[in-house]
Amino acid sequence: MFIQILNGIVYGGLLYLLAVGLVLIFGLREVVNFAHGALFMLGAYIGFAVSAAGYWWGGLVVSMVAMAIVGCALDATVFRTLRKQDHIVTVLVTFGLMLILETVVTAIWGKAYLRYPVPPLLAGTVDIFGEPFPVYRLFVIAVAVAIALSLTAWLRFTRIGLYVRAASTDPRITSIQGINVDSLSLIVVGLGTALAGLSGVVAGPLLSLSPTMGNYILIDSFIVVVIGGLGSFAGAFIAALLIGQIHNFGAVYLPWAATILPFLLMVGILIWRPTGFAGSRT
Amino acid sequence: MSLLGFHDVHALYGNARILNGVTFSIAASERVALVGRNGVGKTTIVNTLCGMTHVAQGDVEIRGKKIRNLRGYTAAQNGISIVLQGRGIIPNLTVEENLLLGAATRRPGPWSVARVQELFPILAERRNSPGLALSGGQQQMLAIGRALMANPDLLILDEPSEGLAPVVVDELAALLIRLGKDGLGILLIEQNVGLIHRVAERFYVLSKGAIAESGSLLNVSRDELQRHIAI
Ligand SMILES: Nc1ncnc2c1ncn2[C@@H]1O[C@H](COP(=O)(O)OP(=O)(O)O)[C@@H](O)[C@H]1O
Ligand SMILES: [Mg+2]
Repeated sequence: MFIQILNGIVYGGLLYLLAVGLVLIFGLREVVNFAHGALFMLGAYIGFAVSAAGYWWGGLVVSMVAMAIVGCALDATVFRTLRKQDHIVTVLVTFGLMLILETVVTAIWGKAYLRYPVPPLLAGTVDIFGEPFPVYRLFVIAVAVAIALSLTAWLRFTRIGLYVRAASTDPRITSIQGINVDSLSLIVVGLGTALAGLSGVVAGPLLSLSPTMGNYILIDSFIVVVIGGLGSFAGAFIAALLIGQIHNFGAVYLPWAATILPFLLMVGILIWRPTGFAGSRT
Repeated sequence: MSLLGFHDVHALYGNARILNGVTFSIAASERVALVGRNGVGKTTIVNTLCGMTHVAQGDVEIRGKKIRNLRGYTAAQNGISIVLQGRGIIPNLTVEENLLLGAATRRPGPWSVARVQELFPILAERRNSPGLALSGGQQQMLAIGRALMANPDLLILDEPSEGLAPVVVDELAALLIRLGKDGLGILLIEQNVGLIHRVAERFYVLSKGAIAESGSLLNVSRDELQRHIAI
């Protein structure tokens, strides 16, 4: 039982890393990024390529840096332009981006599932209440918690964090205070995609790699963002933990309904509170 | 020297041409009113300064310098603070965080959080309340306080008296007169003729997308001014 809860937290942690990137990008650019799952996937493959050369931790760092660069490039070329477009255009463009990234990755690494190894340092299990639990999964939880804490501190206590919160609520008013929201976006989107890369690498050993590995988890991440309240970082954290639990308990006790449970929860919560747990945007 | 000048500015939202050759200028420490009927394009002038319209013709000058690529942050970074119509308080940030946002340009000058709180004690009292918890009048103080945090040379206010009780409008007038005496330039976009008369020295009337009339407020009666505003 307790092991099940921990597994739910592991999945929730991965969801959080993705959802928070979606929140950051949506906040500044009002772009619903359907390519985020593909960025997660690309991050996993980049990390995989480096770790295959024997540098697991190097793969983690390289993937995050590469994905940050990809994110900045995306922001400057695609998202900045999309901001003035209709929402349906942003959906189509980011969806197209997803297909392009999947094609590129398939061309390089093929369609077959690849096994991402666990780093030797984190191999093995520990006993938790007499049951064995993989050390690596504890590491995933630790990563998610560390990111959640540092992101919260950054947003709450720094000048740039204040600007990010302001721009996430109202980019126009924020820019009129003299803040260059385009520069801010570059940082924020780069951070969001770097977290997608981190999430991809960390998820690699748990999910095994394929060009479509990001699709399912992206849907769950969207549900997290909607339940948490569009634009809310704290809401995303709570919702990610919740969906993580539901995902896992569903998989164990209600396998036939596992994929629709998060949807049902989303619908229920939206009926109860149309803006989500902590939403300020509609 | 002119702090802000529009020269024959034609501005559009998409295909809708709203400004049709607007020309005006405000010198340092001047207090100028801009009036005109609802929907005539007063806020569009502010939006144009913030780069939110397409300028098809004409120039916007700040301190005599032609600005080619107007952006949201251009005015603030050049010493022009804007109190937006509807106040533009960020609802989920606290009062103090809203104030700190105003200091983003880090222009040197006399204003600080402490000084703004001294001017508006209520903003100190409610420093940790979210912006949306303030009353309309308090939000207006916060919006003005935030604008002052940028240590501007020119303060643009877009219909600041909108939705305020008469006593609060009186306080607003006293405040703007005081800021003006300290040398702050003011562009007051208003419908409230009493407020205009107390605060401004000169006026412009915007009509059909251009400045139709201008002059000293000493030479116009309230009734005459009112006629330019009412339908
Ligand atoms: N974002 C916009 N897109 C298109 N038209 C707009 C927009 N904002 C305002 N307008 C139109 O521009 C005209 C001028 O509006 P505005 O400048 O807000 O008037 P005022 O501030 O003088 O009341 C109005 O007819 C209004 O409908
Ligand atoms: Mg207006």
